[in-house]
Amino acid sequence: MPNLKELKNRISSVKSTRKITSAMKMVAASKLRRAQELAESSRVYADSLSFILSSLAGNTKNSADLPEILTGRENSKISLLIINSSDRGLCGGFNSNLFRNAKKWISDQQGQGKSVKIMTVGKKASSFYKKTDLDIVASFEDLNSNDRQLQVSDEIKNKIMELFENNEIDEVSILFNKFVSAISQEPTYQSLIPLSNEETSEDESEANIAVFEFEPDKNELLEYLVPRNFLTQIYRSVLESSASEHAARMTSMDNATRNAGDMIDRLTLTYNRTRQAFITKELIEIISGAEAV
Amino acid sequence: MINLKVVSPQKVIFEKEVEMAVLPGAEGDFAAMPNHSPFISSLRPGQMAIMSSNKVDESFFVSGGLVMLKEKVCEVLVDQIEPLSDVNSSNYQQSKTYQELEGNETALGTFEQVVNNPPYK
Repeated sequence: MPNLKELKNRISSVKSTRKITSAMKMVAASKLRRAQELAESSRVYADSLSFILSSLAGNTKNSADLPEILTGRENSKISLLIINSSDRGLCGGFNSNLFRNAKKWISDQQGQGKSVKIMTVGKKASSFYKKTDLDIVASFEDLNSNDRQLQVSDEIKNKIMELFENNEIDEVSILFNKFVSAISQEPTYQSLIPLSNEETSEDESEANIAVFEFEPDKNELLEYLVPRNFLTQIYRSVLESSASEHAARMTSMDNATRNAGDMIDRLTLTYNRTRQAFITKELIEIISGAEAV
Repeated sequence: MINLKVVSPQKVIFEKEVEMAVLPGAEGDFAAMPNHSPFISSLRPGQMAIMSSNKVDESFFVSGGLVMLKEKVCEVLVDQIEPLSDVNSSNYQQSKTYQELEGNETALGTFEQVVNNPPYK
């Protein structure tokens, strides 16, 4: 028969766990709202920029005129994958989904005879990939404020430009959890080098209608635009990932709160039954004691 | 009137109808007015002015960026923008360093040069 005191302790500990998870859920919900706003308000800049870039690239008919960093190298051997994870846990399958997906991607690339390098964003990815034998070129952590997110995006951009120029990498892709809705996030790849096709063709018809004049000339403008575009794409993926993280945490904490509630109900039931059993037992003892006399 | 939209990587800073905006283009200042031919240019650090009936309504310090000009729309993608009155030599220095890091060496000039050289007469 379970001990009454033990049960009581158990109930109170589950209750305090429930308090914590429900508080975390609320915090995540309010952070999610902010992160979503940020992701949405950054979209205007990103869209305009990719429009400008596509009208520039679309204007240059001969793709050989475009810089390597836009079109990619012909014989690419080394790919870099930037993995956007979270800094903290307790967000359900957020990180493990990502890592599982990345694993598949990496073996795919290796199957094509390419070697893979990794760049991690967030503590979870850096501690996970430390244990693997993959080549980690850089790790970024503590993306806890918006300024920091921008700063990290800038550092990542500088790093990939440097690596590309030194021929240490030929391709760059970025992996992040795309924010679909508050209950669904999906791991998404985006290619930075070469520039993904949808980026150049998306607005092409529109871009061709207006023939722009460029100042300074196209090449100089491209030189300015390409890094800027990297920064924006990276920043955007960081923001998407942070919105997804909060959404994932919100759902998983909601589940945890509900589970704790169920557990408390079950435990309370057991507690009451046990208590009643004790009373009955005591009564039987007293009655049979009285009968014996 | 032309629709002037100023956007930073984080957010839309403002969007309004203006008569004319003077922008510090990489190869010289230019004015954005309705029916300008489609035009894309990068910006050097300098002053941006919003004008109506030949006088300046507002002026800003822009640390660099891009501008896309269409018939009725002028989209300015800035790195940083402040009302000119909020700029002092220390935060100017900051954005100057930032520009240099970016490898953008277009006519930076000193703080005094930028502030005391309005792009309009």
